Amino acid sequence: MRFRLAALALLIATVAYGQSQRPERALGVTWSRGTARVSFSAKDLADERVRRELSSGLRKRMEVTVSAHLSGSNWRMGVRRFGCDVTRDLWEDGYLVRIGDQSERLKTLEQVLDRCLVVQGLFVGEPKTYEPQKGRDIYFAVTAEFNPISKKQCTELIRPASGGDPVGPISVNIVRRRICKAERSIVFRGALLKVPE
Amino acid sequence: MSRFERKILFAIGLSVFLALGGSIFLAQGALRDVYAVGVNERFGAELVHGVEARRGQLMALRAGSDQVADAVLWAVEAELARSRSVSRLEGLLGELLGRYEVVQSIRLIDDADQILARAARPPDPVGDALRSTIRERETGTGARKLRIAVEVSVPERYFERLQEAGEVADAYSRLQRQGASVSDVYAWVFGVLAFLVILVAFLIGAIVSRRVTRRVTDLAEASRKVGAGDLTVALPTGARDEVAELTMAFNEMVRDLRDSRTRIEYLQRIGAWQDFARRLAHEIKNPLTPIQLAAQEMAETYTGEDEVFQKKLFQARAIIEEEVATLRRLVGEFSAFAKLPRADLTPFDLCELIESIRISIPAVLEDVGHGTAAPVEVGLSCATAPIRVRMDPMMLKRGVDNILRNAIQAVYQDHPTGGGRVLVHAYQREGSGFIEIRDNGPGIDEENWDRVFDPYYTTKAEGTGLGLAIVKKVVLEHGGEVRLDRAPEGGARFRIELPLMESR
Repeated sequence: MRFRLAALALLIATVAYGQSQRPERALGVTWSRGTARVSFSAKDLADERVRRELSSGLRKRMEVTVSAHLSGSNWRMGVRRFGCDVTRDLWEDGYLVRIGDQSERLKTLEQVLDRCLVVQGLFVGEPKTYEPQKGRDIYFAVTAEFNPISKKQCTELIRPASGGDPVGPISVNIVRRRICKAERSIVFRGALLKVPE
Repeated sequence: MSRFERKILFAIGLSVFLALGGSIFLAQGALRDVYAVGVNERFGAELVHGVEARRGQLMALRAGSDQVADAVLWAVEAELARSRSVSRLEGLLGELLGRYEVVQSIRLIDDADQILARAARPPDPVGDALRSTIRERETGTGARKLRIAVEVSVPERYFERLQEAGEVADAYSRLQRQGASVSDVYAWVFGVLAFLVILVAFLIGAIVSRRVTRRVTDLAEASRKVGAGDLTVALPTGARDEVAELTMAFNEMVRDLRDSRTRIEYLQRIGAWQDFARRLAHEIKNPLTPIQLAAQEMAETYTGEDEVFQKKLFQARAIIEEEVATLRRLVGEFSAFAKLPRADLTPFDLCELIESIRISIPAVLEDVGHGTAAPVEVGLSCATAPIRVRMDPMMLKRGVDNILRNAIQAVYQDHPTGGGRVLVHAYQREGSGFIEIRDNGPGIDEENWDRVFDPYYTTKAEGTGLGLAIVKKVVLEHGGEVRLDRAPEGGARFRIELPLMESR
């Protein structure tokens, strides 16, 4: 019993520490038809190096993940993720931005960053996500990543050597996680707010 | 867990974990070196150069296509200026299309977006996918404003190759940046797996070593018990190894100690009884003669007339003389027991001893039969001659005679009309010489097998209980052992075991 209590206390402390490590930033949250709509800017993801990479002519990816959490918890109630594939067109000036199945051509990098990293009224979750949490404190967390290598591509790039050694596949999996993580990422959270009754 | 077990486990743990630590340390260094050979700055730089080269190639293609577009525009503009008519442009446009491969189409458009002249390359369904762009320039013929649109293209594969090269360079750059940590990951995964393997090996080693250490600690515990005087300890020997040999040697040592102690205790007890017999003989022997003389004198010096009294007096003298004679015999036996000498051992053949016994058998049979030879069949045999042992032949013969006499008496009582058999057999086995005396008499109850060798213990009416005690004393002084059990014939079986000379 004492052990379980100690483990629970340790878990709570770890969660609290993890939450406190995320810097807080102003997020615009409105409620529409029982669902939260979140607005924010993650343009600071694009530092000097990111801007240079985006202008290289190679296809680069930016991913934004917004998640809703109960206060004091890391469990994701609701999550929304979207990604931009950005390619600077070396043949014609401008940038080709692809979001999902939609493609559009933008003239400047600033327009690209506004399109991909400035979010306006993004639906996060569904009404049933918030229904049981009415009146409770929640917060939204944002993770913006530059150029994470997709799992599929990562698996194709880094493969274990053929052979029956047990070390290879385990090590390769760990290495994949390190190698294929985003080249740059920023994480922040909004202030606590109550789910409307 | 004993200290010995802890030390063994500590030694095993220390050796395996030192090996583990050393192997991780060496593996880490080796992996870093190997990784640095495969993933190094030179290769990374070359890959980046490759990407830059492909990008440069694209930019050059673009510049080239721009120049081609400009050339086409100038040619069309010059023709318009020269001829002032668009109807004669078709031939030129076709000629330009054939001259410049990158040009896909040329259109002349007026300010109302009407195409005045046009030349286009037919689509190639099996050719490369193309990426096109249109370069436009305004021109005029008189008051009309015209636009010339030149579509130039480049194969899509150039962009794809640039993308592929970029991705490879990107991945390589990441591998390069993570170089130290990647080799660390390999080393630590190897370490964790090796640790698990070693842990299992350690547990198996601990279990196996525990079986050995347990036997050693059992030996230590048994030694403590023996030291405290407990000689009943016996350990299981189990497997065939050095510890088992040690355990067997220990068991043998304890058995020898136990036998020696039993022997010493018995001889001490016999010594005490000898002392007691000596004093008893002395105390009884002295008054016997005066008692006998006094009785004789009383009977012989009576001068009275009372015949009844005289008769009683003579009866009393006879009883006293008979009892004194019995007491004298007892005193004689006690005295003989008390004066029993220590055995003087010399090399001798057991078979020869058996033969010497053969000579005295008729006298024994006659004595047991009270004048006539008792109808008892006595057989003497020797398995292999010679059976050489160190012995005092006289004393040992006396001992065997005692047992043989007891056996003949018992068999005779059980079979007074014949049919009784006594067998005396000498043989050797496993470093010992044996004399076995067995009969088909009534035997001795098992609960008395140990007591029969005690002095003064007897089941016979006229026995002194000294005969078997003397036998045991003599045999023990020979370094041997005498045991009693049941004979196959149903009677008693005495076995005298003596160490062979070769075994010493």
